[in-house]
Amino acid sequence: MSDGYGSKLVEGQTSALERVTTGVVGLSIVSCLLGMTSILRWTTESTEFLGVSLFDFFAIGLLAMGLTLVVIGVASRTGMVETQPDRNVGAFTAVAIGAISAVVVGLVVSQTLGLGTLVSVLAALVAGAATTLAMLLVREDIGSTVPIGVLTAVVGVLVVTGVLGPEWSWDPEAFTATFNGTIVIPALTVFCGLLSAWAAAKANEGFGTRGRQNGAYLLIGLNAFGMLAILAGLIVFIASKGIGPVLEGVQLGAGFDWPFVTNGYTLSPNEPNGVFPAIVGTFWVVLGAVLLAVPLGIGAAVFLTEYAEQGRFTAVVEVATNGLWSTPSVVFGLFGYAFLVPRLGNNTSLLAGMLVLGFMLLPLVVITSREALISVPDEYRDASAALGVSQWETIRSVVVPAALPGVATGVILGVGRIAGETAPILLVMTGGLRDNAPNILGSFEFTSSPPFVANDALLQSAPALPYQLYATITAGVSGDESFGWATALVLLLVVLSFYAVGIASRFYFRRKLHQ
Amino acid sequence: MSSISGFERIRQTTGSDDGALLTGAIGVVLLGAAFVAFLMNSTLTIVPVVGFIVVTAYGWYAHQAETARALTLLATTSTVLILVLITVFLILEALPAFQLMGLAIFAVEKPVELFGVTVIPGQDPLWSTSQDLYSLTPMVWGTLITTALAMLIAGPLGIAGALFISEIAPPTIREIVKPGIEIMAGVPSIVYGFVGYVIINSYMMDNFALPTFGSLFVVGIVIGLMSLPTVVSVAEDAISSVPPSIKDGSLAMGATDWQTMKSITIPSAFSGVSAAVLLGVGRAAGETMAATVILGHTQALPEPLYDVFGNTETLTSLIASQYGNATGTHMSALFAAGVVLFVSVMFLSVGSQLIEARMKRQLGGNQ
Amino acid sequence: MSEPVTSADTENSTQTTQSTQSTERSTVSGETDERIQQSWLDYDFEGEPKLASKELDVHYGSDHALKGISMEIPKESVTALIGPSGCGKSTFLRCLNRMNDRIKAANVDGSVTLDGEEIYQDGVNLVELRKRVGMVFQAPNPFPKSIRDNIAYGPRKHGDIDTGLLARLSGRKDQKKEDEIVERSLKQAALWDEVKNRLDDNALGLSGGQQQRLCIARCLATDPEVILMDEPASALDPIATSKIEDLIADLAENYTVVVVTHNMQQAARISDQTAVFLTGGELVEYGDTDKIFESPESQRVEDYITGKFG
Ligand SMILES: Nc1ncnc2c1ncn2[C@@H]1O[C@H](COP(=O)(O)OP(=O)(O)OP(=O)(O)O)[C@@H](O)[C@H]1O
Ligand SMILES: [Mg+2]
Repeated sequence: MSDGYGSKLVEGQTSALERVTTGVVGLSIVSCLLGMTSILRWTTESTEFLGVSLFDFFAIGLLAMGLTLVVIGVASRTGMVETQPDRNVGAFTAVAIGAISAVVVGLVVSQTLGLGTLVSVLAALVAGAATTLAMLLVREDIGSTVPIGVLTAVVGVLVVTGVLGPEWSWDPEAFTATFNGTIVIPALTVFCGLLSAWAAAKANEGFGTRGRQNGAYLLIGLNAFGMLAILAGLIVFIASKGIGPVLEGVQLGAGFDWPFVTNGYTLSPNEPNGVFPAIVGTFWVVLGAVLLAVPLGIGAAVFLTEYAEQGRFTAVVEVATNGLWSTPSVVFGLFGYAFLVPRLGNNTSLLAGMLVLGFMLLPLVVITSREALISVPDEYRDASAALGVSQWETIRSVVVPAALPGVATGVILGVGRIAGETAPILLVMTGGLRDNAPNILGSFEFTSSPPFVANDALLQSAPALPYQLYATITAGVSGDESFGWATALVLLLVVLSFYAVGIASRFYFRRKLHQ
Repeated sequence: MSSISGFERIRQTTGSDDGALLTGAIGVVLLGAAFVAFLMNSTLTIVPVVGFIVVTAYGWYAHQAETARALTLLATTSTVLILVLITVFLILEALPAFQLMGLAIFAVEKPVELFGVTVIPGQDPLWSTSQDLYSLTPMVWGTLITTALAMLIAGPLGIAGALFISEIAPPTIREIVKPGIEIMAGVPSIVYGFVGYVIINSYMMDNFALPTFGSLFVVGIVIGLMSLPTVVSVAEDAISSVPPSIKDGSLAMGATDWQTMKSITIPSAFSGVSAAVLLGVGRAAGETMAATVILGHTQALPEPLYDVFGNTETLTSLIASQYGNATGTHMSALFAAGVVLFVSVMFLSVGSQLIEARMKRQLGGNQ
Repeated sequence: MSEPVTSADTENSTQTTQSTQSTERSTVSGETDERIQQSWLDYDFEGEPKLASKELDVHYGSDHALKGISMEIPKESVTALIGPSGCGKSTFLRCLNRMNDRIKAANVDGSVTLDGEEIYQDGVNLVELRKRVGMVFQAPNPFPKSIRDNIAYGPRKHGDIDTGLLARLSGRKDQKKEDEIVERSLKQAALWDEVKNRLDDNALGLSGGQQQRLCIARCLATDPEVILMDEPASALDPIATSKIEDLIADLAENYTVVVVTHNMQQAARISDQTAVFLTGGELVEYGDTDKIFESPESQRVEDYITGKFG
């Protein structure tokens, strides 16, 4: 029965095909990365790379990749290299290549030839349909290499011959934007580079099912890498911009001074501005929100998992919790503005901020606590009940402690989230850029009329880090961009340290659980 | 109301004595009084609150189990109550604007007629505080465009990221990527907004010759990046909840991992993955600060409509940028924008929950 | 015969000594060379070996689930694996198509060859291996798709039938071929009559026993060389069971079938040779089915078969 199985059980040595395709994948990825730097304008058309100008390198690279792909396709079709292609490319690839050809033809007809909209749309549709149909008639190895190879090589030729140069520019009527060669060339390089890498990765495994897996994995892996790169890039960029102003005027040793962290917003030219009030404000508002949301959230989660029978009521609560969780932050802000502000002294206040952020944190605490409580094994409850311990005692001394790590992790991550929230506190809590640090502890006093206890600081507007950043923008960045970067850095550090602690603690508890 | 029925249940199930019941009843009355007093903005709110605290303390001392149970029920009720309060107050505040504008709250520049009946009224200008004209159409359009752009990024890339984490990445790499994505979710929106405002906006003006500061395009991209982590983590949950046994079934037949993902895993997790995308849409539509900071704030439709490099306003950025100097119907119109946003996001949320419930039923269907 | 270790000339006398040794040492895991002696590589069957395992050890973390299993499985025959629950039958089966690779905790040492080719070596194409060594799982695991899609899954994935969008557009779709495969496989698995009118219904709506037969049909549709079956009849009524037993007997003409069962009579009825695993993950006895059931060499096997323990 073993005849009819094309490929061998055990693969031999690396073939020439694998070496060539690996080369193409490598060149494509290098081109993509360099193209990204050009799109970001870190490099330009005049940058030298390997002795040629960068855009010439793109052009030569595209030409080389494109031609190699065509050669690979033809070699595979004529049997010069051993592959296991399917009858044709999949429907997705066929339609995608058809769409690309439709876009290219449509643009050329309408923009280069200058024919009308109707003609170009028709031409685009015809080209797209024809390309898709052509994909049906050719074997997979041709279908997945030749169209991409030709497109890549043509772009390369256009750039080499200078038809598409850095001075080239296109100003479509439909859009406000103008597209310049300086951006279009690297953008096309990235696009064609990705396509070529994908095609070459498929060829690398000899097409067929394994080729497709290889191609897909390459793109998915690059996507994951890209996400991490964006995150890392963002953090590094903000750190590099912000670290200078944050550390400005720092004195170590006996006369320790750290103006950015210990000063307020001074406006005096000799004193560096600082974010001290904002840090204090953020601290208090987060603390208030946690004190409100954590007991309520854990209580609700305990009721839902331990006491309530699953029914209509729990279903309603579940829908409400998830609904609250997806409610946009600005809606919370509006709610606080309409409901809390008039009832708390008719002005923006720290207390209102605490309550609104607490409401925002509540659904997250409920959701994570429920998950943690549900994952406490029923044996614990049974074992405790079998010892004759009452349900409440069991919950208090067995269930909740077992769930605590999960709850704590969820709360920490949630705190990270609300500490960076701007929209709600904008509407209910903050006053201006020059608010002082709220002095909560020093402001308690007793009064003769109800409510008998007053804390002025709670009922006054207070600053917070995210608001401070927003305020620097609305105040006009012109003179104070570095203050903004520094604030952004401190805010990022505060928020991300919550995340780091949250993630690390989850890691730790999971480890402990598995031991 | 539900707290009272809850106490009924407590009596039935735990057979608690009359003392506990009385304490509970007093507690409920006091709390109700406190709530009503707060709603009426009375300075006497503190009195029932203190009373409630005293009663709770007594209950904790005398009937701990019952009190604990009642308090957890109270916490649960308060979750629902907050959502109810949000809905009520948002609508109450928005009412004047809806009354003033009627259907014209969604007016476009030229009236749209169908068989001689005006279905959408026309109005020019669409938004003018001096003339008391508040059509939300430009903001709705702006929100639609930015959300669509965002989901073009967050949808496919998010699902691919989820596949990578749950199915493809080797364990060590997963341990890096997964927390990385989570941290990405933690970067505050104002930080993205600041970068967009300072860096990307001027980049666009320099390199794409944009005449104005800010564009829907930039907002769409930034919001897309911001909703990406939501899509990744929810979709990842869905994908990893597909039972391994059916994946094994596919692999044992000689299908490749990728074929298994495409034909078995993703279709089985389809509901969960679409719920993830819906949640991502909700996040993108509700994103405020990035849009507020990056956009140029013109309350008019872009020309032509699909000019993504143009400027307009989103529902969220309208609220955040105008609440400060708004009064009367103007403020009410901002609440109307909030209502439109809130209702849409609630639809998305409930929709995604229904879909997820369906998925659970389907996968658990054979047991 | 790929391995020189397999010697057709080993006589009964050697076998006897070996099995006495193995009973004596049953609880001690001996030295490597002793373990080879203890092995059942020298069991003399007719025909060529299709699969052979040598000194196969499987650990789940620190749990030693299979201990030095060495045996050869002849081509185009039915081999039954019997033994008490938890003795490692499913584990052994999963080693034969490397499904154990999917279990993180599992650690496989030793060698398994398919037609003389080592399947635990670098560069083995797992997809190719699993196309050739099919498997029916202990618990039915139909895909949440229609009955037809379940059966046609393998052939479609291997490009044997193509009914996708492109095939439809180009008028090349193999609908007839697919219908044939679906009908033939379902008939073989004795399920056709029950489902022929609802091929497009979701397979999750079938009963447990029907799902089990569906999984058998699904495996047959991919046309492997070796079929590994883990208790294929555990959820079936006597009628369906006897149909499946007939099917297995038929399959043995073209396929190599390895089947795990808890049912002694069934093992005796359907198999050409039987391997007895006992608790601890040892292969205690392996030989012609008649011989194992009539005159087992080891006391422990006799006890197990006659129901004294296990
Ligand atoms: N995924 C796994 N992780 C850890 N241990 C496992 C795993 N699968 C099996 N085991 C252990 O390996 C041993 C053998 O298991 P296996 O499933 O092979 O037994 P079996 O002979 O098939 O039993 P049964 O007749 O009940 O199916 C058992 O002790 C079991 O606990
Ligand atoms: Mg088993």
